[in-house]
Amino acid sequence: MKDYIHLTIEELHQAYLNNEVTPLEVVTQVLDEAEKDTNNAYEYICKERALEQAKNLKEEDKGNILWGIPYVLKDNYSTKDIPTCASSNILEGYVPIYSSEVFDKLEKAGAILIGKTTLDELAMGGTGTSGHLGKTFNPYDPTHERMIGGSSCGSAATVSSGYIPFSIGSDTGDSVRKPASYSGLVGFKPTWGRISRYGLFPFAPSLDHVGYFTRSVKDAASLLNILAVYDEKDATTSSKEVKDYTKGLDGNLKGYKIAVIDEILNSITDKTVIEEFNKTLKILEKEGAVLSHVSMDIDLVKAIYPTYVIISCCEATSNDANLDGLKFGLREDGKTYEEIMTNTRTKGFSTLIKRRFVIGGYSLLKENQQELFLRAQKARHLIVDAFNKIYEEYDLIYLPAAPSIAPKFSDASDTLSDEYLISDNYLAFANFGGYPSLTLPIGFEAGMPLGGNISGRIFEEDKVLNASLAIEKNLPYYNLYAKKETK
Amino acid sequence: MEFEEVIGLEIHIEMKTKTKMFSSSPARYGDMPNTNTSVYDLAFPGTMPTVNKEAVVKGIQVCNALHMSIDPLLRFDRKNYFYSDLPKGYQITQYFYPLGKDGYLEINTSTGKKRINIERLHMEEDTAKQLHAYDCTLIDYNRCGTPLIEIVSKPDLRSGDQAMSYIETIRSIVSFLDVSDGKMEEGSLRCDINVSVREKGSPAFGTKVEIKNLNSIANVGKALDYEFKRQVELLEKGEPILQETRRFDEAKRETIPMRSKTDSVDYKYYPEPNIVPIRLSQDFIKEAIDSSNELASSKYERYTANGLSDYDASVILSDPETSRYYDKIVSYGVSYKLAANWVNGDIQSVLNKDNLSISEFKLTPKQIADIIKLIDCGKINNKQAREIFATLIDNPSLSIDTLAAKYNEGMISSNDELTKIVNEVLDENSQSIADYKSGHDNALRYLMGQVMKKTQGKVNPKDANEVLLNELNRR
Repeated sequence: MKDYIHLTIEELHQAYLNNEVTPLEVVTQVLDEAEKDTNNAYEYICKERALEQAKNLKEEDKGNILWGIPYVLKDNYSTKDIPTCASSNILEGYVPIYSSEVFDKLEKAGAILIGKTTLDELAMGGTGTSGHLGKTFNPYDPTHERMIGGSSCGSAATVSSGYIPFSIGSDTGDSVRKPASYSGLVGFKPTWGRISRYGLFPFAPSLDHVGYFTRSVKDAASLLNILAVYDEKDATTSSKEVKDYTKGLDGNLKGYKIAVIDEILNSITDKTVIEEFNKTLKILEKEGAVLSHVSMDIDLVKAIYPTYVIISCCEATSNDANLDGLKFGLREDGKTYEEIMTNTRTKGFSTLIKRRFVIGGYSLLKENQQELFLRAQKARHLIVDAFNKIYEEYDLIYLPAAPSIAPKFSDASDTLSDEYLISDNYLAFANFGGYPSLTLPIGFEAGMPLGGNISGRIFEEDKVLNASLAIEKNLPYYNLYAKKETK
Repeated sequence: MEFEEVIGLEIHIEMKTKTKMFSSSPARYGDMPNTNTSVYDLAFPGTMPTVNKEAVVKGIQVCNALHMSIDPLLRFDRKNYFYSDLPKGYQITQYFYPLGKDGYLEINTSTGKKRINIERLHMEEDTAKQLHAYDCTLIDYNRCGTPLIEIVSKPDLRSGDQAMSYIETIRSIVSFLDVSDGKMEEGSLRCDINVSVREKGSPAFGTKVEIKNLNSIANVGKALDYEFKRQVELLEKGEPILQETRRFDEAKRETIPMRSKTDSVDYKYYPEPNIVPIRLSQDFIKEAIDSSNELASSKYERYTANGLSDYDASVILSDPETSRYYDKIVSYGVSYKLAANWVNGDIQSVLNKDNLSISEFKLTPKQIADIIKLIDCGKINNKQAREIFATLIDNPSLSIDTLAAKYNEGMISSNDELTKIVNEVLDENSQSIADYKSGHDNALRYLMGQVMKKTQGKVNPKDANEVLLNELNRR
């Protein structure tokens, strides 16, 4: 029998249209695979619900691209009647009574939720190690020595395992685009305000984006067609017209001006990364783009990471202040409100989260605000201004998504090298400016994938997708997944 | 040494809007606890605020009434603190950029009008209501998220009386604008006081004391009078005034320390990231202002210009509902004075008797206007009007015309017949005609009496007077 569970969205959709296979057959097999997961990718598998949904799909809706397509959601999206804990003990036992807009839209489109995936606790982290269930592993490394990155670790691990065609993540600094680089996926974060965040558990709302993983650029475009919306429940969504993002997607880059920022590229020490990246530059030129190396104030580039830390920690402190043990989730006893709140939060949050709250709270104190929070806000403006200046002349910025393949858990370090400060953490610039930003596989090193990242002007998702397609069609990484590679 | 009291007020006003400040649940007072809530009000993870346009419109109207400059860029901030009545762990308010600033208000004082400067007006969301039982605390989230405006005065008030007058004026403004009920007793208007005492004429400020828990305008006056006495006594004894928060104990009629100010909270304010700044167009602001209800001060001008006494105007304006009822009566084209007589007289007696408010009054302004019109055109007299009024109170659905017809049974309604009778009277009284022509008004009254006598009173006196004059002039 033909393999139907390692297809892209587009391919599986075609198979449904041809009546080759039914959603129930596919979903049954996908659930089997999910239950065999060895990467610690799941918080919750909705087996009964998924089977029920697959049985009840209506034939007349078959034309919808997501009809019968299995997918998973990062466990920080509110799903009515389905447990949602954001991989944190503080939300133990929490079953939301309302659904996020993203989940609603996918349900309406006929996509089938297989499960909720692990993340770094409350989406704060970049290693996929800090969730309450422990480390999530990279499917490309069966020895489980290498990370997949975070915070959308479970969503990346399921899609890069091959049996789930797409998954939803969230991206506050690089939480979709970095794991995509480490696991050979297309990881896309459209413009801030293009997709509704209603029901996404906030980490730092001014930086939070809905993002997702697919195994083809075309699938990323199709998904945006479904998810892009002006939602009155999210006052930050844009009323700008939603385009048909698959239209005109042909990889022809004639007229595209693409910038490579030297200060970021030059901080990378891994030769293979540079080699593979340079090969893709030739592809872009071959497809008609004009490439230029541009320079940026190195101090601003170095400021991206600290600026990100301050702003995200500050916003995070109040976003999680609702978790006081009174209304939902974990509750520890106490004689007074203060005691309940303190005991619950002491037990419910891991040390790493508390560390962020302390940094955020400290930076917002009256006596520190000027020096820390307001300074970070100013730096954010300066950084965005500098990138906007590049975008005045160039349509896109193209760079390696990360300075290396997925690191080993044992190698992870916080050493403040230039590489760490710049190329390992620069992707947050797209969160500062709300730019659409996409990572895709561009090569391999030691059997592990490497990613490139293309970012564009706000609301120019079409150009980002088109340049990505140009690279994809010139490389053998369309529908890339772990087992396929090791076969 | 002579001392003076320096007072600034922070007034919180609950706005009367259909829905809450940032969510779509109803903002209603007095419903069953925890029935007007939403996922946002309870701070379920992932919920987001959306700004209530009606609240912004009302906020602009108050800013305008207080002569404030309005910030056309609407921005909100987070005020962070943990408390059981605050589900999100922060309150959305306007800390950095209030909707209105630099306004003023004129209040009446014992020595005439006084201008009180107002620093700022900002919008925010209310907290949940807590009910403390002896072994537990119950939380009612209905109030949580209700739109509030906070009006902060400059320290321009100098006595309890002035503070009371200031609150009364603010209360009048928000209730006439229909922005709020403005009831201190129900908590829809709440007041915190900042008060210090200094040597009269001194530019420096004394140590500031905050007073909370004031549930009536009268208590604000009492608290300030007590506080003035207390602080002056301390100063005269050379004892320090502590910077602290006190509350007013109604039974003891004195202020009692609540907590010291030294351990004040740092609220870690920062801009609300889920609401991008909203540009209010000049048209939007103008439309909000133009659609404002008329303020009491403007109504007073209008009433007195139309012949009402200061007393009548003031009685009608003591309550916005009464003035709205009154305005509807006069909108049917009846005289201000007659309408005022009814509203302040017969209607008020009925309401007093049954202890009702005007909004519970059974008769419509149209019915009152109809009665007044019938008197005005002479169809009925005042006594008959009162009888009709009394009948309607018991049975409001009866037709006024039908009731009035009773008094007109057998009346001479034909103009020809009336003219004939008038001429008969004139023919019989040629001397009176001559007297009238030579300017004796008594003659006219005599002739009128003759007409009434001849018709046995079965004629509308107004009509009879008209015909009589006509016929006299033809002779």
